Amino acid sequence: MAEQKQPSPRRTFLLQAAGLAGAGSLGSAGVAAVETAAAAVPAPAPVQAATIPYQSLSPAEATFIEALVDVLCPADEHSPSGVDCGLATYIDHQLAGAYGQGDGRYQRGPFRTGKPEFGLQVPLTPEQFCKAGIAAANAASIRDHGKPFDQLAPAVADEFLKAVEADRVRSDGVSLALWFNEVIYRLFVEACFADPLYGGNRDVVFWKMIGYPGLPAAHALDMVRYRGKPYPGAKNPKSIADFT
Amino acid sequence: MAKKLPKRTVVIVGGGLCAGLISRQLTAKGIEVLVLERGGDHANGAEATLPNQRDELRWDRRQGLMQNWQRETYTLRHSRADESLPIRWMEAFLPGTGVGGAASHWNGCAWRWSEYDPILRTRYETRYGKSAIPADMPLQDWGTTYGELEPYHDLFERLFGLAGKAGNIQGTLQTGGNPFEAPRRGEYPQKPLEMSEAEIIFKQAAESLGLRPFPQPAANSPQSYLNPDGQRLGSCQYCGHCERFVCEAHAKATPDTLLYPMLRTRAGFEIRTHAHVLNVEYDRRAKRATGVRYLDLNSGQEYEQPADIVVMAAFTMTNTRLLLLGGIGEPYDPVTRRGGVGKNFCYQTSSGVGVFLKDRWINPFLASGAAGTVVDEFNNDNFDHSALRFLGGASINAAVTNGRPIRTRATPPGTPRWGTAWKKATADWYAHSFWVGAQGSCYPHRENFLDLDPDYADAYGRPLLRMTFDFRENEVRMSDWVTRQVGEICKAMSPDFMGPVAGRAAPFDTRQYQTTHVTGGTVMGAEPKSSVVSPHLQHWDAENLFVVGASVYPHNSGYNPTGPLAALALRLGDDLVRYVERPRML
Repeated sequence: MAEQKQPSPRRTFLLQAAGLAGAGSLGSAGVAAVETAAAAVPAPAPVQAATIPYQSLSPAEATFIEALVDVLCPADEHSPSGVDCGLATYIDHQLAGAYGQGDGRYQRGPFRTGKPEFGLQVPLTPEQFCKAGIAAANAASIRDHGKPFDQLAPAVADEFLKAVEADRVRSDGVSLALWFNEVIYRLFVEACFADPLYGGNRDVVFWKMIGYPGLPAAHALDMVRYRGKPYPGAKNPKSIADFT
Repeated sequence: MAKKLPKRTVVIVGGGLCAGLISRQLTAKGIEVLVLERGGDHANGAEATLPNQRDELRWDRRQGLMQNWQRETYTLRHSRADESLPIRWMEAFLPGTGVGGAASHWNGCAWRWSEYDPILRTRYETRYGKSAIPADMPLQDWGTTYGELEPYHDLFERLFGLAGKAGNIQGTLQTGGNPFEAPRRGEYPQKPLEMSEAEIIFKQAAESLGLRPFPQPAANSPQSYLNPDGQRLGSCQYCGHCERFVCEAHAKATPDTLLYPMLRTRAGFEIRTHAHVLNVEYDRRAKRATGVRYLDLNSGQEYEQPADIVVMAAFTMTNTRLLLLGGIGEPYDPVTRRGGVGKNFCYQTSSGVGVFLKDRWINPFLASGAAGTVVDEFNNDNFDHSALRFLGGASINAAVTNGRPIRTRATPPGTPRWGTAWKKATADWYAHSFWVGAQGSCYPHRENFLDLDPDYADAYGRPLLRMTFDFRENEVRMSDWVTRQVGEICKAMSPDFMGPVAGRAAPFDTRQYQTTHVTGGTVMGAEPKSSVVSPHLQHWDAENLFVVGASVYPHNSGYNPTGPLAALALRLGDDLVRYVERPRML
């Protein structure tokens, strides 16, 4: 795990934010300007992001998922990059845990294929299916674009995912549209908006972004006091961890 | 080998709302009751304690309080011509597990249905003629009337401390209430919940169109409330964690808060948790239920529990499945239309339109499960269908039940699903949007029914229940028409953006939560040939077997099903007192 190639989250965010702010280089004045800009938007992630080891993803799979979450959630004025928000960590932990192992899913045969309205019918566990999809998506990326997904330029990667979502990317064996829409995209929104307890939504960055105040949500008085008005607690959301 | 236990007077399958209400009536008269519940007791779990109660991922997304699909799910086919598939992870409706059942994790919407719902066939035929009801729509009267149930509605509402505004007290219409409400003997026990910003906007828009909005009847207590049994509700915290959650403030009226703690102090009451009923034992020759067989999940030991009276009070689907597994009554055959078990399986035809108002602070996280403002002009038969090509309708509401961010994030039409533009739209509109919903009726169709699946089994080796279901022409037409009325109300709000005005369409989608209101399968009626249980909920083929729950509804109305279900359960409790005194066909 120590050899795993991961970008420094803080640095990535500062660099990309600087790029957005139009700063040419990252001199001390530039950093100060970015810090100021960052203070006005949701706070950046803490630096220990990259130090949480993966449980399920291999280095190659981690490279794919990190690239994926950075396409779905690029660093911008709303948040740091997906990796720096903990989204890859969240997905990894879910795959290793009860969800990934198929807990709560009916897993008996006979297995049949059906309309999407029946939900996912594949015999693989969600973890296995996720990984089969990663391999298939990478193969499709190499076939269609000449390189693996993590090496695609951001705009190309974004278009690739849109094609996958719309079932326009052919793949033998694995339905990439199902993989993306029923597994990856669901994990992605959970990673953004679940309590930070689970490793995503680091520093409640997405709750701050939308103004969800989190816990304790004892709003008996707020209901009337802040009806139709901005809610002050939305600026400083609290997670389960803040009450434990 | 099942161990045989000593015989009990009354054994109830399923420890939810119905069992709690029936037990209240029986134990008050000194009649002993044993309730068998497959799940555990949530009272002291993380699900009922801060801070973990507020965990959207665990309780909502991962369905921590629901039936475990790994052990037992349903199969589905959209028509008889299709092959069925098991729903490997169900989202469309959510049966609970544990003490309190689905009424533990409900939102708290507690309606009385229309006065004419129990006589719906008569109503339509009287108003529109004998040919108004299509041949493939087996609507039927219930064999009872609203008037017979009214005292039990009243009792339920006082027990559960409902908050609302009466619209019709003994025939006199009340300003601010539902003008279409069935007549009630008095005001609601509590005043309505606080209105949300969304409700204020909706009310103004509806009134500008000449509609008469009113507060939705709610089981979320606006104040501390002491019920007639001396049981207390806390005061609602508007935390937005009602449906799919246990209310840690005990402000949501549930069986686990108001009934079971009291019942446990009563002589003659026993509830066994983690007791999963596998079969209702039936003596075909004697036409009697002899008891139940259940698996003790604590040990793996199977037990045979004999009983004088068996009451099936499990979730809709389980009631039907246990009758089919036990070979009790004749299964429904859609070709010959003979047999009753499994017929008239209905759902709810829901739809709605999102509205986006950048200058209004909706703050969806300031919410209570049943806080809502509703118009009833387009519901059921509250409007003239003679020029329309469908029957039924929908209640239309603004009910912001939560702002839980995995679930509740609306973005205007055309917004990308990820990336910077997605983040911007999500951030811009989270606090400035809400949903105007239509909760539509779903009438029976001869091709919508339940039976046992020939191919799939549960963890205990029993066949799964198979749904043959889809939204048929009547429901699709109704939903299209009613959703256009929703669209007009939304336009009257002058929103910055509106979502698409689209009614519910086929095929039925198991991946999308709609409501947990599945009904039918063991329907009640005055005639044995068209129903499974009598108007007193007594099985036609087993005098000492009773079935209660939404499974006895011959159709589903444009309301949540809990109110009539509770009234029927309380009345059944009283009927069972009479039956114990003198067993007979009631």
